[in-house]
Amino acid sequence: MSKGQVGQVGRVGRARLWGQVGLLALALFACLPLGLRAADNARQIVDEAQKRTDARSQRYEGLLQVFDAKGKISDKRWTMERLGAHGQSKAVLRFTVPAEVKGVALLIVNHPDRASDQWMWTPAIERDRRIALQDRSTRFFGTDFSFEDLEERDVNQYEYVLSGDETIDGAPCWKIASTPRESKSSQYTRSIVWIRKDNYAFARIENYVKDQVARRLDYSNIQNVQGIWTAKQLEMTDVRRGSRTRLTLDKLEYNVPLKDEDFTLQAIRRQ
Amino acid sequence: MRPAARIAVRIVFVSFVSFVSFVRCAEAQALTQRGFVEGAGWFFPQAALNDPTRVVGDFLAREDLFFKPAPWIQFAAGFDLRANSHDQVDDLWRLDLDDRGVKRPRASLRRLNATLSHGPLTIDVGKQFIRWGKADIINPTDRFAPRDYINVVVPEFLAVTGVRAVALHGAETFEAVWVPRFTPSRVPLLDQRWTVLPPEAAGVPIVDAGSVFPTGAQTGLRWGHAGSGYEYSLSFFNGFNNLPNVGQVGQVGQAGQIDLLRTYPAIRTYGADVAVPTPWFTIKAEAAYFTSPTADADLSQSGAAAADEYVLYVVQVERQTGEWVVVAGYAGDVTTKRRAAFGFAPDRGLARSIVARASYTIDPVRTIAFETAIHQNGNGALAKVEYSQASGPHWRATFSGVGIAGQDDDFLGQYHRNSYLSAALRYSF
Repeated sequence: MSKGQVGQVGRVGRARLWGQVGLLALALFACLPLGLRAADNARQIVDEAQKRTDARSQRYEGLLQVFDAKGKISDKRWTMERLGAHGQSKAVLRFTVPAEVKGVALLIVNHPDRASDQWMWTPAIERDRRIALQDRSTRFFGTDFSFEDLEERDVNQYEYVLSGDETIDGAPCWKIASTPRESKSSQYTRSIVWIRKDNYAFARIENYVKDQVARRLDYSNIQNVQGIWTAKQLEMTDVRRGSRTRLTLDKLEYNVPLKDEDFTLQAIRRQ
Repeated sequence: MRPAARIAVRIVFVSFVSFVSFVRCAEAQALTQRGFVEGAGWFFPQAALNDPTRVVGDFLAREDLFFKPAPWIQFAAGFDLRANSHDQVDDLWRLDLDDRGVKRPRASLRRLNATLSHGPLTIDVGKQFIRWGKADIINPTDRFAPRDYINVVVPEFLAVTGVRAVALHGAETFEAVWVPRFTPSRVPLLDQRWTVLPPEAAGVPIVDAGSVFPTGAQTGLRWGHAGSGYEYSLSFFNGFNNLPNVGQVGQVGQAGQIDLLRTYPAIRTYGADVAVPTPWFTIKAEAAYFTSPTADADLSQSGAAAADEYVLYVVQVERQTGEWVVVAGYAGDVTTKRRAAFGFAPDRGLARSIVARASYTIDPVRTIAFETAIHQNGNGALAKVEYSQASGPHWRATFSGVGIAGQDDDFLGQYHRNSYLSAALRYSF
C-alpha cells in the first residue's frame, strides 16, 4: 500500500469517525428527556417572539368594543403610551370616549422580577388609587380585560413547554404551555400560547384558572408596522361570562419620543 | 382688599389671561374638554320643621377645558352654571371666583390653574383641587379640600386658590402647598332642611349674620412613599378649618331673633395615611391630630375662633372581587381638649361609626351601589342605594334612595326627616 493510499484511507477514516461522532451526538440528543428539549425550544421561541417586538416606545389609539352574549353593548376609546422594553416598561392608558370616563387613566409600571404596580386616576373625584395585587383579576372598566391582562408579559416570568403545532386562522403556529414562575403573581394557573411560525407574532393566548379556560385572547389583522409584526386587532373573550371585548389599534407608532416623567402619578393627573 | 386676597386674585387673573391668550392660538389637538349637563330632582316624603318643601329640582352644566400648548405646561379651566327650584342658587348673574357665598353661585369659575412640569418637579398655580389621604370613608388629612354641604349626604368638592409643588425622587414624593386665600366649606342653608334646629328654637327667626373669614395663608407639607405594593405618607397642615364654628352674636334680639355667625378656627394637623395590601384585601388607615396654634389665653383675649384638639382616624378594608367593590371600615375620634362650643363638622359627625360601601357592576352600562353608616351607639344611621344606567355614549340616568334614622342629638340621626328619593339625568359631552 502506497503512502498516498494510506493517507486516503486515513482521511476516509477520519471522515467516518466524525460521521460516527455526529451520529452519536444526534443519538445522544435524541435520548435527552423530551420535555427538556421542548422546554428549551419553547423558551427560545417565546424569547425570539419577544425580541422581535422590542421597541423603545409605543403609542396607539384603541377602540374598545364590549359585546355581551346578545351583541354589542358599548364602545370606549383610549390612548396608550408605553416607554421601555419588556419587563421594565411603563405604560399609561387614558380614556378619551365616552365623555363620562374621559380623563380616567391607568399607570402601569412593569417589573422584571415581580408583578407590576398599577394606579388609576379618576378625575371626577381628583383621586388616584393603587390597584392592589389581589384586585388584578377584576374586569378593567367594564371590559373583558382584567387589570392583570394589561400588564406586559415578560419571557422571564414564565416557564415554557412546547406542546406541539397547530394552525390558527390558516397560519401554522407553535403551541406552547406557559406557567407563571413563583415570583410572578397571577390569577391564572397556566396559559397556552400560540405563536405563528412565519413571523413569530402571537396568534392566541388561552388563560386557565385551574383546569378551565377563563379568558382567551385572539390576535388578528397582523401587520408589519415599522418592522414589527403587530396584531392590530385583539379580542378578549371571557369564557365564563360569554362576553368579549375587541380592541382595535389605530395610529400605531413605535419608537416615538416619550419622556420618563410622563409616566408618573403626577403626569397621569394631567389631561 | 387684604394682601392675601390680592395675591390670590392676581394668581387667578394671571392664570386666566395666560389661559385665554394661549387658547386663542391653540392648535386643535392641544385643546381637550369634558363636560356634562345634568337635571336632578329630589323628593322628601317628610316635611322638615324649618322647611316644608318636599320636592326640589336642580340643574347643573359643567365644562372643563384643558389646553397643553407645550409638553411642559398645561392650563385647566372649569365653569359651572346652576339653577335650583328651592333657592339654593344665588340670584345674581355674575361669575363667582372665590366660592365664599352662602348659596351656590349661578355661574362660577370652578377651577383655573396652570400646571408646569420639568423633570421630576410639577408646579400647579391657580384655583385647583388638592386632595390628600387614601381612605374612602372620611379623610382626616384632606385639609385643602373644602366641600359644598348644601346637601349633607352628597357633598361636592371645592377648589382652593394657591400654589402646589410636587417633587418626585424614586419612590418618594415631596409636596408643598401654599394657599394665600381661604376657601370655606359651604354649609347647609339656615332656612332649609339640612340645617336642623332644636325643637325649642322652633318659631324663633334665625338670621344669618355672615362669616368672619380668616386672612392668613395656609401651608402644608406632605411626604409620600410608594413602596413595593404598599404606600404611606406623612403630612403637616397649618391653616384654618374649612368647617365653621357657629356662634350666636350678642343676645337674642328684640324681635326674638337669633343671629348666627360663622368663624373658622386656626388649626394645625399632623397626619399620616397608609395603604397595605394583604392577600385577602387592602387595609387603609388614615389619621390626623388636630390642634390649635393659638394658646387658650390668646383665644380669650383676641376673640379668635377656638378649636378642639382631637385625633380623627379611619381604618378600612377594601376588596374588589368579581363585579363587586367592597369598602368597609370604622371612623373614630378621640378628643384631647374641648374648646369649641358648637360647629358644623360632618367629618367628626361621622366618627364613631361603622361605614360600608359596596358596588356591583351588572354589565358595562349598569351599576348598583349600597352604602351605610351606623353610629356605634345606634343613635344615628344612614342607608343609601343607587342604581345607575348609561344609554349610548352620552346619557346616564341615576336613581337613589336614602333612608336616615336616629335621635335628634346625633349628627346623622338629626336628619331623620330628610330621607329622600332622587333621580338624575346626565348628558356628558
